[in-house]
Amino acid sequence: MKRLSKIHRMFKLHRIFIKQDLKRLMEYKIDFLTGALGMLVSQAVELVFLSVIFAQIPSLEGWTFTQILFIYGFALLPKAIDHLFTDNLWMIGYTIIRKGEFDKYLTRPVSSLFAVTVEKFQIDAFGELFVGFVLLGISIPGVSLEISALNILLFIVALFFSTFIYTGVKLITASVAFWTKRSGQIIYMFYMINEFSKYPTTIYNKAVRFIVTYIVPFAFTAFFPASYFIVGGNPWYNIGGTVVMAVLLMSIGIFLWNRGVKAYESAGS
Amino acid sequence: MRKILKIYKPFTHAGVLLAAQYRVNFVFFILGDVLRCFINYFLWHAVFKSGGAETFMGFSEIDMVSYIFISFLTTTLAYSDGAYAVGEEIRDGSIAMRMIKPIRFDLAFLFQELGERTMSLLLAFLPLVAGVEIFRFFATGRFAFNLWFFLLYFVSLVLAYLINFYFNVCFGYTAFVLKNLWGANFMKDCIVGFLSGGIIPLAFMPGWLGTALNLLPFASLTYTPVMIYIGKLDGIAILLSFGLQIFWLAFFFVLQQVIWNASVKRMSVQGG
Repeated sequence: MKRLSKIHRMFKLHRIFIKQDLKRLMEYKIDFLTGALGMLVSQAVELVFLSVIFAQIPSLEGWTFTQILFIYGFALLPKAIDHLFTDNLWMIGYTIIRKGEFDKYLTRPVSSLFAVTVEKFQIDAFGELFVGFVLLGISIPGVSLEISALNILLFIVALFFSTFIYTGVKLITASVAFWTKRSGQIIYMFYMINEFSKYPTTIYNKAVRFIVTYIVPFAFTAFFPASYFIVGGNPWYNIGGTVVMAVLLMSIGIFLWNRGVKAYESAGS
Repeated sequence: MRKILKIYKPFTHAGVLLAAQYRVNFVFFILGDVLRCFINYFLWHAVFKSGGAETFMGFSEIDMVSYIFISFLTTTLAYSDGAYAVGEEIRDGSIAMRMIKPIRFDLAFLFQELGERTMSLLLAFLPLVAGVEIFRFFATGRFAFNLWFFLLYFVSLVLAYLINFYFNVCFGYTAFVLKNLWGANFMKDCIVGFLSGGIIPLAFMPGWLGTALNLLPFASLTYTPVMIYIGKLDGIAILLSFGLQIFWLAFFFVLQQVIWNASVKRMSVQGG
């Protein structure tokens, strides 16, 4: 009961913070539009790229254009949701720890990790979210996808845990900053590996495939779950793998974070 | 000219120091960005395998791989942070300090950024060029490096940087209107990246669109130097593209000057 009320309290706090951010959004409408439009444009450009390629070839190693669009669209969703809620982890890597601003989170009556992430609701992510849903909408009629209660449930499970793969990678790399003061560039390097997940991993060589599957497992955020929905496969591997990887990364991340908080030394003065 | 060098040398020096300070970060960022080249490499490899043909719209697989890495190198080296730097100064009002100093605002930025670029030259140039040449050697069985094309490429790259610098300074003035610098810059980088051939060679664009994009200033930023490097342009085409690059450089230089003169007269800065 006590645990439940704690979760309830977290949700309540989240709502309050999001409300604050939305007020800010109303204040700076043009800012929001530029940010979301930027995300939209960056995705549109990549789609033109893909359509130029597919105008010349019928399929890419057996994958049709619509199937690629489905995987691509699926890849955007967990990325966008993570972007929406945990964007402040980047600032841990860039400035918050280096400038000693982390002190304030330690004084809050909630866990420091929660206090950091709840502070920023990154509305730019709506651009990615929008493109992701549009791509799924466009591609679903063209791929053999069975819409059943089980598939919808698996879809939600896959989406939920894929998001935590993103968060986990960011959390682990951001925590490094507790010891090195600055880890933004390390977050960036590992985060960029997510780009590999947009395409079927079958196009990569063995080494790359191994890295994106087992080392920095972004393949489980898009290709494995998405391909399960359109070409079938072993759900225990394709979606179960997503769950396992997410739990693993988050556990390591939270462990490192807690160790880091203990090791944290504020910046002088 | 010597006087100019003497006045602005300290800015270059400061730029070098700044870049040296952040060299480790720079390496990580470059590594993160090079990943994207490798994704494209695998993607194109699959495209050539699935297409079954020797060439894709006139590009062989070796051309395409060289294009991916050299265009990344060109974009990195010709990159200018001018828009962000100018925008930040306008936003926090420190641009006022630039006005009371007896130095040119654009040159001070330019010389500092040239200093910062030395680190990219040292850390990205050699490995990427060497990588591409080694790849070409193993793929074709002979040494494909052409010193003549390489030198022309370098001239074109310098022009590309200067055009980009003045274009970005002009863009930075949008900070008078837009407050989300990050968003505006992100959008600009995406659009410019596409129009300049940084994502796909402009040769892949259908007829009239391809011609139009070739004439726009953005082609001068990435596409032109890269096409020179991989030997896709002949003598006359190279001369013409240099002419076009010089034209766009002059265009943005004058535009920047006009906007600057106009805004100095009517500028009001918050606070004091």
